[in-house]
Amino acid sequence: MSSGEALATPGAALARAGPSSRLDIAGAVLVACGLFLGLLVALPLAWLAFFALTDKDGAFTGANLARLVTDDSLAAPLRISLIVATSVGAISAAVAAPIAWFVARTDMPGRNLVRVLITASFVTPPFLGAIAWEILAAPNSGLLNHWYRWLHDLPPFVHLFDIYTVAGLIFVDSCYAFPFVFVLVANALDRMPADMEDASAILGARPWRTAWRITLPLALPAILAGMLVAFLRSLTLFGTPAILALPGNFHTITTKIWSLFQYPPNPGLAAAASIPLLLLTIVLLQVQNRVLGRRGYAVIAGKAGQARLLRLKHWRWPAFGLCFLVLCLPIGLPYFALLKAAITTTIAEPLSLQTLTLKHVRFVLFEFSPTRLAFQNTVVLAVATATTGTALALVVSYATARRLVAGHRLLNFLATAPIAVPGIVLGVGLFLAYTRGPVVLYGTLWILFLAYLTIELPAAYQQLQSAFRSIHPELEEAGRLFGAGRMRILRDILAPLLKSGVIAAWCFIFIGVMRELSAAVMLFTAQTKVISVVIYDLNESGDLGAISVLGIALLAVTFAIVYLAQRVGGAGIGRTARPA
Amino acid sequence: MAGELPDVPRSATVRQRSFPFDRCIPLMAKVELVRLSKSYGGQPAVDGIDLEIPDGVLACLLGPSGCGKTTTLRLIAGFVEPDTGEVRVGGALLSSRERTLAPEFRRMSMVFQSYALWPHMTVAENVAYGLRLRGMPREEVRRRVDAILSVTRLSTLSGRYPGELSGGQQQRAALARALAVEPQTLLLDEPLSNLDANLREEMRFEIRRLHDAYRYTTVYVTHDQAEAMTAADLIVVMNGGRIEQAGSPQDIYQHPRSRFVASFIGGTNILEGEVLARDTVALDGLVLRCREGEAEGERAAVSIRHHEVQLSGEPFGAETNGAAGTVVRQIYLGAHRDYLVALAGGTQLRASAPMELDLAPGTSIYVYLPPENCRLLAA
Repeated sequence: MSSGEALATPGAALARAGPSSRLDIAGAVLVACGLFLGLLVALPLAWLAFFALTDKDGAFTGANLARLVTDDSLAAPLRISLIVATSVGAISAAVAAPIAWFVARTDMPGRNLVRVLITASFVTPPFLGAIAWEILAAPNSGLLNHWYRWLHDLPPFVHLFDIYTVAGLIFVDSCYAFPFVFVLVANALDRMPADMEDASAILGARPWRTAWRITLPLALPAILAGMLVAFLRSLTLFGTPAILALPGNFHTITTKIWSLFQYPPNPGLAAAASIPLLLLTIVLLQVQNRVLGRRGYAVIAGKAGQARLLRLKHWRWPAFGLCFLVLCLPIGLPYFALLKAAITTTIAEPLSLQTLTLKHVRFVLFEFSPTRLAFQNTVVLAVATATTGTALALVVSYATARRLVAGHRLLNFLATAPIAVPGIVLGVGLFLAYTRGPVVLYGTLWILFLAYLTIELPAAYQQLQSAFRSIHPELEEAGRLFGAGRMRILRDILAPLLKSGVIAAWCFIFIGVMRELSAAVMLFTAQTKVISVVIYDLNESGDLGAISVLGIALLAVTFAIVYLAQRVGGAGIGRTARPA
Repeated sequence: MAGELPDVPRSATVRQRSFPFDRCIPLMAKVELVRLSKSYGGQPAVDGIDLEIPDGVLACLLGPSGCGKTTTLRLIAGFVEPDTGEVRVGGALLSSRERTLAPEFRRMSMVFQSYALWPHMTVAENVAYGLRLRGMPREEVRRRVDAILSVTRLSTLSGRYPGELSGGQQQRAALARALAVEPQTLLLDEPLSNLDANLREEMRFEIRRLHDAYRYTTVYVTHDQAEAMTAADLIVVMNGGRIEQAGSPQDIYQHPRSRFVASFIGGTNILEGEVLARDTVALDGLVLRCREGEAEGERAAVSIRHHEVQLSGEPFGAETNGAAGTVVRQIYLGAHRDYLVALAGGTQLRASAPMELDLAPGTSIYVYLPPENCRLLAA
């Protein structure tokens, strides 16, 4: 601004100076955030692409990608992964949709219990579930096979179940994937106006017909979206297939990528094998957005009221029994198996006072040297990631929800982009990016920190963005009219309203870090082991008792934090301001 | 299911895929509510109401929000079960404390405040839904859908999805869906509250026109007295879960029985004073003879509408019902002038006066409250 103009309108210039200088600082912070976010994803992916497309001398080649098709040791795992993921998607939807309907729309007893148990299977780390099912249904040592032989007086090696098969993998995967479908469908049903079903009833439709013709079609987008989530999750999961497929002598694409980093490493091929996983994820997330984002399903708000619950009459208890039996598979049986393995000397022995022992607890807590270091690493990483991630998500989501800067769309894209990068692919990319100069992070906790931050950021960002959106801008504008600056408003108005959302986001990042395995398994070194990696290592050496103790400790911490998040988050819901 | 059906004669032939109506509701649809109550968490929403709506009548449940009118409608529909009392339609018992016939067996249809059009079906499919449920042949369904869509002026929009319609079109589609099944009872829950003012006025007449054409017994819930005045044969004013007064629009307006009804329907002055005789009340230098109502106790309230108060620059010279006052405020409203007049003791009166009477605030003025327009109100 020239001095002449300033003289001409001194008042206006003064009036502008205050807020705009504040905005400039905010702008600089946002640009820094944007660059950091860009680097977070772009750098590993660039290296990934570079390695996939070059040979050892750095010359361009398509050979790595071509081998994905021609080499059956790569094509077969990809095929198996697709078969497993498709089955998991279908099974999850078939199991979760009816349970969600029972819980949201009928007078089935124990609906809250079912919700709690599903939350429990939601937060159970999948690799822990896989190990528990190993204890239960390994062909020889599995408890279920043991009982089966004992019941029918059969010789050893005869078995009912073999968990080390494609079918076993599909089963265990589905156990911990179906809650994703359940949450989406139950949410959709909870939010569906009761009028939709009442209108059908008053026209003469019996309850089952209303469920079939009205409720189901309206919930269909949520069911499809849930299937896609379950499919993607299963496709990109490392822990479960590593535990179940490797002993069964087959590979999925994620275990194959991991094995390409074992001696002798072949990073070029691993990078190439990551490409289809990455592309498929991006495409399917686009599809999911389209399915859920269709605005044709907009509904005019009225006095919707509580949905009337369908009376199941004499089907009430059978329905509950069905849900309960289904939930024994991800929760009841595995938790029992873990508990039993933790406190008995050997798995197969019957539970009695003589077989009770504390030796696993003692071993894990006092004798096994990696435990202490791993716990320490995990807590440090979890706290650091949760704090940084929440802060970053808070700043970026404020900028995008309020459209503060011109590039808010780009920021939004950068903050959500990591969703499309599977953990194992990110692990490969980070490994390639930070094992060489200028910045060598491999072997330090920093590389794990970057991995966790990248993986957990999108969920925290989306949660906080929706929290910002639920606070009407007029609440801020009212404050500004009284002369409060942006920072002051942040402190006096936004912070109290956002508190519960922020705490919840922090807790969920914390939990996410504690259970992450697929990126960590690519990036850890002897000094930077975390709990999930220690559990995975112990599984390789077959020490199920120690695993169970560690797993139960992990679960206890997780449940404590989920409980805390729900207490704090739940207490804040009533106060969320929303103009009529 | 059979256990839920009321004791009414079943027709001899029940087709396999057919609709269960012929087993439950007789054709005459007089709606009766008998000492009907419903409370939520100890708080009565509907508090022992008695009401009879004759066959073919359009009745408006009118009242402020929270007065229990929507709960009453949902009790009639069977979405809500009564704590005590009965709902009878055409003499058949549909709801009581012991058994409530499910909504799908009631031969009713309903227009919801949110319209509740199913977003995954086109307008035509929405309208055809109820007809298909009745096992009607495809040809017949199409014929009836076409007919009702042309009556509601939606023929050109039959292939659209609800999300692609304007508010008024959605409202007509919801009405078409409800009318297509030829219900015995039609229920309307604030059907116009989501429309803008112009459309609302137009749709008021539309609903009345369709009712005159089909003559279904209709229960119409609204909080808008103009809507009730335009559409209803019978207005039922509700307050605090009870019925304050039921009658024709003219009856309700001209002969309000309670203070609530008088002030809720149209503007009115409520004047409270000392009882001198069964038909005479005194206040603030004013002795009011009332042609209507009877005073009980020592104090009573009198209602007189704004436009019934007469104003003049000269004394009226009547023995009672007149007084002198001062103009407090005068507003020019185009068709008339709106006056606020203070009497000697401070009592304030609102009155509409003709354009010709133009007195500035502060000038003295004479008021006359004709006995035939003064109504003594029940406490």
